[in-house]
Amino acid sequence: MDLTILAQILISGLFMGMIFALIAVGLTLIWGVMDILNFAHGEFLMLAMFISFWMFSLWSIDPLLSLPFNVVVLFAIGVGTYYLIIKRVLNAPGLTALLATFGLSILIKNSAQFVWTPDFRQIQGAWLSDHTVELFSLNFSVAEVFAAIGSGLITYLVYYLIFKTKTGRAIRASALDRQTALLMGIHIDRIYAFTFGLGGACVGVAGSLMINFYYVFPGVGSLFGILAFVTVALGGFGNITGAFWAGILIGIVETAGGVFIAPAFKYTVVFILYLIILSFRPKGLFGW
Amino acid sequence: MKKSSRGLIVFWAAILLGTVWAEAAETIRIGAIYPLTGAIASSGQRSKHAIETGLDLVNEKHDLDLPFARTEGIPNLKGAKIQLVWGDSQASPEVGKTEAERLITIEKVVMLLGAYNSGVSKSASFVAERYKMPFLCPESSSAELTERGLKYFFRIAPTDAEDSVAFFNFLDEMKAKKRQVERVAIVCENTEFGVHAAKEARKQAESRGYKVVADISYPFKSTDVKSEVLKLKAAKPDVIIQGSVLGDMMLFARTYKEQKLAFNANLSYCGGYHDPSFALNLKKDAEYYMGQCTFSTDFIAKKPVLGKINEMYKKRSGVDLDGVTMEALTAVLVLADALNRAKSTDSEALVNAFRTTDFATPTLPGDGVKFNEKGQNAKIISYLTQIQNQEYRVVWPESMASKPLVWPFVPWEKR
Repeated sequence: MDLTILAQILISGLFMGMIFALIAVGLTLIWGVMDILNFAHGEFLMLAMFISFWMFSLWSIDPLLSLPFNVVVLFAIGVGTYYLIIKRVLNAPGLTALLATFGLSILIKNSAQFVWTPDFRQIQGAWLSDHTVELFSLNFSVAEVFAAIGSGLITYLVYYLIFKTKTGRAIRASALDRQTALLMGIHIDRIYAFTFGLGGACVGVAGSLMINFYYVFPGVGSLFGILAFVTVALGGFGNITGAFWAGILIGIVETAGGVFIAPAFKYTVVFILYLIILSFRPKGLFGW
Repeated sequence: MKKSSRGLIVFWAAILLGTVWAEAAETIRIGAIYPLTGAIASSGQRSKHAIETGLDLVNEKHDLDLPFARTEGIPNLKGAKIQLVWGDSQASPEVGKTEAERLITIEKVVMLLGAYNSGVSKSASFVAERYKMPFLCPESSSAELTERGLKYFFRIAPTDAEDSVAFFNFLDEMKAKKRQVERVAIVCENTEFGVHAAKEARKQAESRGYKVVADISYPFKSTDVKSEVLKLKAAKPDVIIQGSVLGDMMLFARTYKEQKLAFNANLSYCGGYHDPSFALNLKKDAEYYMGQCTFSTDFIAKKPVLGKINEMYKKRSGVDLDGVTMEALTAVLVLADALNRAKSTDSEALVNAFRTTDFATPTLPGDGVKFNEKGQNAKIISYLTQIQNQEYRVVWPESMASKPLVWPFVPWEKR
């Protein structure tokens, strides 16, 4: 196997991994702050992709332009989900919230199938889609490069927000000790709603960037859902930078495993790695 | 209780009983299992539209030159109408099996129809066999399905074994014309369908002296296929033989282009290639892909009645019929014929009727359906289509071709 293919494997894996990370960041954020695993996260991604898809195909609004709109809409969906569902089950046993989000995911997926039919859709002719660049005889899809850059930016922004701002401090305080945070005058309800909204907004960005190179259909969320969960667990539940690095690791291992072992086992390799790392570091690579 | 209200109860009871009785006498319940939700729901829903079109043809009166179109219901069963009871497999063999149990034991259907995915057809037909109930499979292509020695299983579509023969007959012809086809790569999903299709392709390739440069089995419903395509790139194939469902097929096509993979032809087994969404979504990137075919709109020019059926289907689904959906539609006519000859809904009588089926229909190539001792339709023939200007055009065999073959696969940068 020549060197260019090896380099291509590494770089393709890196890009794919950054996309997993982009999806996982929102998921890990919600887990870290509220201890809730949002099973509807993949469906939020699907909604974001559909919004971008329709804005492009009905009004020719490029996914890059609809990105801010998507962020706002998904933020609102996140906040709405918190007030309508999560808030009511916050004090119930842990499984209740899990099942509530699971139910929500089924509701969203099937409603989408009802409204938009189960057809597969893909956009052609957007600014980013359809272009490949060749560099040192390596091929990259421009859309994936953008998604990877977006992933890095979003991870940094969320990190900055959580660790460098006052709201971030309040979020961290609520995550550490809910009761004490309440006593310190932190409006827990608003912080939680904001966190859920932020998780949605992250996936809003992901959807807008992914529609440039991936098809959308009502079940697309479940394809990425399981890998996003693995990314979150591998990086350490609730750890934002952990999710980023875990995503990259998974992407590279998956692509390399597919080439060097066999494509049929590419996910097997990822899950074996996951099991090995978790048996040595049960809280994930960056968990504490 | 007042007299008047008692009278009312008797009145409503009579009406209710009357409707129940009337329904019992005039409808035949048939179970249909398809992937109506989940990863390949779009293909499942298209099959559903096709079956409902077939049902419309059988149950209602239409002025068409087609079996059962001019009558209402099943003539020999006093015009009894067929009613479908749907089961959703979600493309999972386990769910499909449970749905078969439910349809047989709870819904009391008289036979089963289905189930798109070869894996689901396999598990669901075992259930039917256990209850000694006919299972009519319109489209699943795994050759293995009719090699299991089942007595109640019948299939209309050509198998992957037959399609492989067609593919390599075509490649032999290309070879005779001095075209580059020596290096063959096989790319199939790791399911019942893909594994067996790959096996048949390998068998043909090896026995005819082709060089299999890559044999790639990849996970069904992949999030990306980079590693698969990079492996292919290293193998430098002339021809790719593909067994993928719609989502994966779209992903492969996009990644082939991204990695500028060069090849002379891509031949698909029954699967994602055939779903019109493939050409609609990928537009110029879908051009020149090829696949086996049992129906193309090109057939309409030769048999105008097919155009009318296509219109009926298009009203429901918004797209033209393809081979897979035409097989599903034909299945309704075939089962109507079996019911009509059996003159009963008893499963033994019905299965005997299927065994002696020799049904002439213009809907499929070969102009008829006749099952051999294994339950496989012996009359079906496969052609090859190629996507040209977003239409599936018949290009092989030459005697049936409506458009000349475009060879080789036009490189991405020249489109």
